[in-house]
Amino acid sequence: MRTRIIIVGLLAFAGSLWPANLIATRVHAQATPPPIDKQAEEFFEREVRPILVEHCQSCHGARKQELGLRLDSAEGLRKGSESGPVVTAGDIEQSRLITAVRYGDDTKMPPKGKLPAKAIASLEKWVKQGAVWPKEDSVPAKARAGVSVEAAKDHWAFQPIRSPAIPIVKANELVTTSIDSFILARLEAAGLPLSPEADRRTLIRRATFDLHGLPPTPEEVTAFERDVSPDAFKSVIERLLGSPRYGERWGRHWLDVARYSDTKGYVRLNENPRYPSSWTYRDYVIRAMNDDLPFDTFIVEQLAADLVKRDKGTRGSGDKETRGQGDKGKEEADARTLVPRSPDPLVPLSPAETSSAPSAQLAALGFLTLGQRFLNSPPDIIDDRIDVVTRGLLGLTVSCARCHDHKFDPVPTRDYYGLYGVFANSVEPRVPPLIVPAAQHAQFEAYLKELQSRSNQLDEYLRTQHAALTAAVRTRAGDYLLAGQHDPVQANFLAVMFLIDSKKDLNPVMTQRWARHLEQSRKGHDPVLAPWHALARLASASVRHQPDGAAKPAGETSSAPSDKTATPAEFATRASELIAQWPAPADGAPRLNRVVVEALFKPPPPSLAEAAQTYGRLLREAEQRWQRLLKESPAATKLDDPEWEELRQLLMGADSPLTLTIDDVEEFLFVDATTQQQLHAKQRLVTDWIGSPGAAPHAMALEDAKQPADTRVFIRGNASNPGEIAPRQFLAALTRGERQPFQHGSGRLELARAIASADNPLTARVLVNRVWMNHFGTGLVRTPSDFGLRGERPTHPELLDHLASLFTVNGWSLKTLHRQIMLSSTYRQQSASQSANQHVLAAARAKDPENTLLWSMNRRRLDWESLRDALLVVSGRLDLTMGGSSVDLFAPPFSSRRSVYGFIDRQSLPSALRTFDFAPPDASSPQRHQTTVPQQALFLMNSPFLRQQVQQLGARPDVTRLATTAEKINAAHRLLFGRPATADEIDLGEKYLSSATTATAEPVPEGQPQFLSPWEEYLQALLLSNEFVFVD
Amino acid sequence: MLIGNSNSLSSCPGFRARPVSRREMLATAANGFGMVALSALMADGVRANSPVDVTAARRHFPVKAKNVIFCFMDGGVSHVDSFDPKPKLDELDGKPFTESKNPTANGNRQWLKSPWTFQKYGQSGMPISSLFPHTARCADDLAVIRSMKADLPIHSTGVLRLHTGSNNAGKPSLGSWVNYGLGSENRNLPGFVVLSFGVVPCGGLENFSNGFLPASHQASQFQADGTPIHNIQPADKDRRLQQAKLALLRSQDESFSRSLGTEDSIESAIQNYEMAYRMQSLVPDVLDLSRETEATQKLYGLDSKAPSQKLYGIQCLRARRLIESGVRFVEITCPPGASNGTWDQHGALKQGHEKNALDTDQAIAGLIHDLKQRGLFDETLIVWAGEFGRTPHSSGRDGRDHHPEGFSVWLAGGGTKGGTIYGATDELGMHAVENVSTFHDLHATILHLLGLDHERLTYRHAGRDFRLTDVHGNAIREVIA
Repeated sequence: MRTRIIIVGLLAFAGSLWPANLIATRVHAQATPPPIDKQAEEFFEREVRPILVEHCQSCHGARKQELGLRLDSAEGLRKGSESGPVVTAGDIEQSRLITAVRYGDDTKMPPKGKLPAKAIASLEKWVKQGAVWPKEDSVPAKARAGVSVEAAKDHWAFQPIRSPAIPIVKANELVTTSIDSFILARLEAAGLPLSPEADRRTLIRRATFDLHGLPPTPEEVTAFERDVSPDAFKSVIERLLGSPRYGERWGRHWLDVARYSDTKGYVRLNENPRYPSSWTYRDYVIRAMNDDLPFDTFIVEQLAADLVKRDKGTRGSGDKETRGQGDKGKEEADARTLVPRSPDPLVPLSPAETSSAPSAQLAALGFLTLGQRFLNSPPDIIDDRIDVVTRGLLGLTVSCARCHDHKFDPVPTRDYYGLYGVFANSVEPRVPPLIVPAAQHAQFEAYLKELQSRSNQLDEYLRTQHAALTAAVRTRAGDYLLAGQHDPVQANFLAVMFLIDSKKDLNPVMTQRWARHLEQSRKGHDPVLAPWHALARLASASVRHQPDGAAKPAGETSSAPSDKTATPAEFATRASELIAQWPAPADGAPRLNRVVVEALFKPPPPSLAEAAQTYGRLLREAEQRWQRLLKESPAATKLDDPEWEELRQLLMGADSPLTLTIDDVEEFLFVDATTQQQLHAKQRLVTDWIGSPGAAPHAMALEDAKQPADTRVFIRGNASNPGEIAPRQFLAALTRGERQPFQHGSGRLELARAIASADNPLTARVLVNRVWMNHFGTGLVRTPSDFGLRGERPTHPELLDHLASLFTVNGWSLKTLHRQIMLSSTYRQQSASQSANQHVLAAARAKDPENTLLWSMNRRRLDWESLRDALLVVSGRLDLTMGGSSVDLFAPPFSSRRSVYGFIDRQSLPSALRTFDFAPPDASSPQRHQTTVPQQALFLMNSPFLRQQVQQLGARPDVTRLATTAEKINAAHRLLFGRPATADEIDLGEKYLSSATTATAEPVPEGQPQFLSPWEEYLQALLLSNEFVFVD
Repeated sequence: MLIGNSNSLSSCPGFRARPVSRREMLATAANGFGMVALSALMADGVRANSPVDVTAARRHFPVKAKNVIFCFMDGGVSHVDSFDPKPKLDELDGKPFTESKNPTANGNRQWLKSPWTFQKYGQSGMPISSLFPHTARCADDLAVIRSMKADLPIHSTGVLRLHTGSNNAGKPSLGSWVNYGLGSENRNLPGFVVLSFGVVPCGGLENFSNGFLPASHQASQFQADGTPIHNIQPADKDRRLQQAKLALLRSQDESFSRSLGTEDSIESAIQNYEMAYRMQSLVPDVLDLSRETEATQKLYGLDSKAPSQKLYGIQCLRARRLIESGVRFVEITCPPGASNGTWDQHGALKQGHEKNALDTDQAIAGLIHDLKQRGLFDETLIVWAGEFGRTPHSSGRDGRDHHPEGFSVWLAGGGTKGGTIYGATDELGMHAVENVSTFHDLHATILHLLGLDHERLTYRHAGRDFRLTDVHGNAIREVIA
């Protein structure tokens, strides 16, 4: 309920940011009604408005505005859709509304079925008569603009991070770190106390699960309980932070954000669904955490590791000595008195360096590359990358701006495509680069030799196919021209499986390229193709003027005898009339290519297909001329005759649809079952080898495109509908001062630095909040990946800023932040369930039921990884081997590796992971759900994995060697809960073990799965108990 | 998350007794693991009125259907051979067809008439082909939508779109949305069950995913044979052992949280074991068909000699029993008959479609009859749909390819208008031309029948309010009674 209310409040707030008065003014300024013809008005009301109301306004009205179009007011009509006006008064042919209701091209309105002929006629008449719309009293056109960037800069999260004064509190004796001052200030204002410090056993269990995701050993508990030094807890924290188990725990938290998975999601039939070397990213993350790699460096490497190197001279990884450790007071220093450290110690690589010497850090790019692959659809892959960067690092939902200006946050569509350009200009190397230092190459000699041989086979195959394809598409250029003319441009064209016989059929990828090329060339004037477009218009016009007036829906087959097609005679007559005018153009008429005109002139083509063949013949001749020229003068750059050169450009120029790079070839091969199989077989030669046991590590890397190109806004997210150019640049809302487009390559490094900057108002806040959340169960901002206008406001804004500013000043050190948090009295307090003071508890619960003020520690349930790892710890089986390729956790005999090393298949996530609220790897995950479903209980009660752990636990020699049942019960409690059993518990256990029920258990014959013994049943009950799965 | 227990929400001024917690009940009932206390604890009504976890749990419209059975026709049934007769194809049969733009339909093509004959059935006179003699007798119960239009002619994206409204994985399945929207009627059973035959459809298990919705809305897959749910088989030698162990567990938990008050997470963890315990016996009970009369079993074709037909009959009968027990949404996938359990007959159309029809026709018709005789038909919506239709043309004489441009699905029961034919394809079955409908429209219609407005059933994720229908869809009023 609470959430809802806040959302409504914020909506109202967002609403107030819209410059309503400005919009109203603009609307009035545009409203200059023409003189109204009374008759026309009546016609509109009688004939036209009812059609609009009945058939149009449900999608183009007050409630919805598809394509930005409203047809419920004069203003809406005048404004038109996102691509401009839909009605040109007086001109039916130029009015897209009419084309659409006639079903004349791809836009068919209304989509549910064509209007009756009478209605279409009424609309035509209305447009012809000037599209009169009677004057109205009200102006219903409500603004649909997004949120103004300037106005939204007032939003708290876009303000610069401040360093607030530390509050003075009454209970000063409870302040151990500055965090306590902020927490106590709010508690005291509410009249609530902090809860007392938790006991030692609870504290060490809490700290060990928090930092390692594992339970403490009984020995560690005892040692801590006995340690009387004032720094005892601090020593525990240092020990935990210094262990590699720390990186495995906190690395996993980051992998949630990074939507890490070992597979691509759904792929084509024979494509390898596994990422060959995904695990190197996982290991990079774990290593970065263990090394306390400064978080800004961590960010820059994840976005641009291919463009930077670590500067060993200043600060690099693992410099624990220089920062923080045990340096009392440093992490407590007032941020205002510290000088920010110099920018991140990463040095940009020169272009020469970029292509050489890949370092282990290159694996960091897995952050971008290991998302879902959407059947290799580039706009979707890029969208996923924008999403993981913006929500993951900035807590901002930029993806909403893919189709329209963000409705709640100041992210215009142009900003989305500014980032789109960055990733559209970042490409994956065909073979993931090796990240083995040269010194170790000898160790992998056989592997590398084989890899080289397999890569060569792939390259050779692609080269051969490239040559064959290029020759084939040039020879059939005329066929493609015709096919492209008839092929509708598809928004998200996907070359799909087993479609053609490439030996004889046209390749649909090339056809689609032609369709797009023709669409673009129609918008301007192209001397070579202008005659074609004129003829094509003739052909379609002759279709449109069928006696019944019904235009044929595009894509409808024309070979069905029932279809109405233009008669060849009709076309031929018109075409010859038209062409006859071309050889002697009127003054000022745009130039047409002479060669084309002459070829079409004698004789005029009887059909569009014949015209296409003429083009094909000319293009072949252009190529022959070119080949002849090359023989004579190999250095030639163009044909002498500019008219022929123009044709040659259409055939082989850089912008020609027929020009293929070797990287384009794959898509063409997908569409034929045979070549697809061949391609995947060649690819798998490489990827299977890289994914094989004993393979050397590779990085799932990115690199900048060789020639970065600007991208355009895709109107309504439609890739076939490009709009204005969107320069590659950072988000306006997060830029103070003048915004500059990125200068270097794709702009990835500049983007990374803009994010990993102490001046960025979001990055540090978002990260600090994530860390807080993983210590307390909830964040200071409870929407950890949404700091935008619809996210929740922080419960403690000053504390958040205090932590964020200290974080950047302290060198973006996570470990320093952990110390600061964990040493606080706030962190060390009891959970509510441990509280002895019922009065205080009742008061606190009444005043702050959700514990937003942190009057106690939150009790938390173990997540999947901690639960599974803890079971392995107590069974004595936990295998602490680090790194390497991912392992199957669910196939018996069950692996005893830590859960973080488990294989994650996003296509078919194991049901146990789903059941235990694992972060879905389809998209960046801000926070895990905490659901309670019976399947969890079934797993713990009945799964073979659990049974195995119980049996191992029962066989632990340190328990079995004990003499009495009481001693064994006691040892089990120490092992599982870190405390001895109480007298009651020993009594309970003894009764259970001696009861009649359990005595019926008998041994099962050899070879059968053994049922649990009474003692094992007893141990399982302890493992299932809340004390094992909850942390106080 | 137990709403009733939160102090902050006790807006009601009157005194309302807090429900006795399991823990308290146990403490007062007996010491430890006595059987008396246990049986009291373990016996909970089948239709428990527990508050639901994270659900929207509110109706926007009058409720017509309470439950859904989704018969997923994997691979794409040929519309021109089932519910959309095209006499024009008889005329053109064998004549060449040259302009296929469909990437799965290539080669030298010709029009192909239906190898089956159509007859009119029922008072509505609905034409249905001889593939479905049993379903045909239910003609007046069906609302056939003949004007479906899907997106791409690829199985994976098509199946995902049918299930989740999106071509790509990661979005919640229809069944998850329905559970999120309506909550559970029986907390001892999963609310979304997929009755599967072990064949994972194209698009993967993501088709049944809860996506970003909480895990409580995930699908549970029940296999046709073998162990229906993971870990449902008690690991203990006998029931009393497990009861004793759970009783011990509760005693153990007592000492852990003896301290006080209500702690929701702990309380629900305790309840959860009890629920799992009951599920262990309830699931086999619900799935046990031996108590069904012979007549009922025959109705579903359980006496069939064809193993896949029998299996499909078993799943349909199980679906009815699950619905009766309060499961909200049951999906039945295709049995492993022709083409690995799909209708994807690029070749051997006659044999493959006949095999699949044989496997499914009688059981689905039986399900309709059975629901009617039990008075459940009006509250149970049956959805019969695949990811696309099949081409009216062919590269041979006995096969059809993928055809998303126009095809048929049908709905029955649950407040639909029986005997309805909605929309139309052109005279060759090539394109939906009248009342063109998408999966978004189908989803909106299904939700509408359940009392849910597809535009208001939203879940906040990644800063956006997500819908099953994204930003599209209209409920098709014409098929609603």
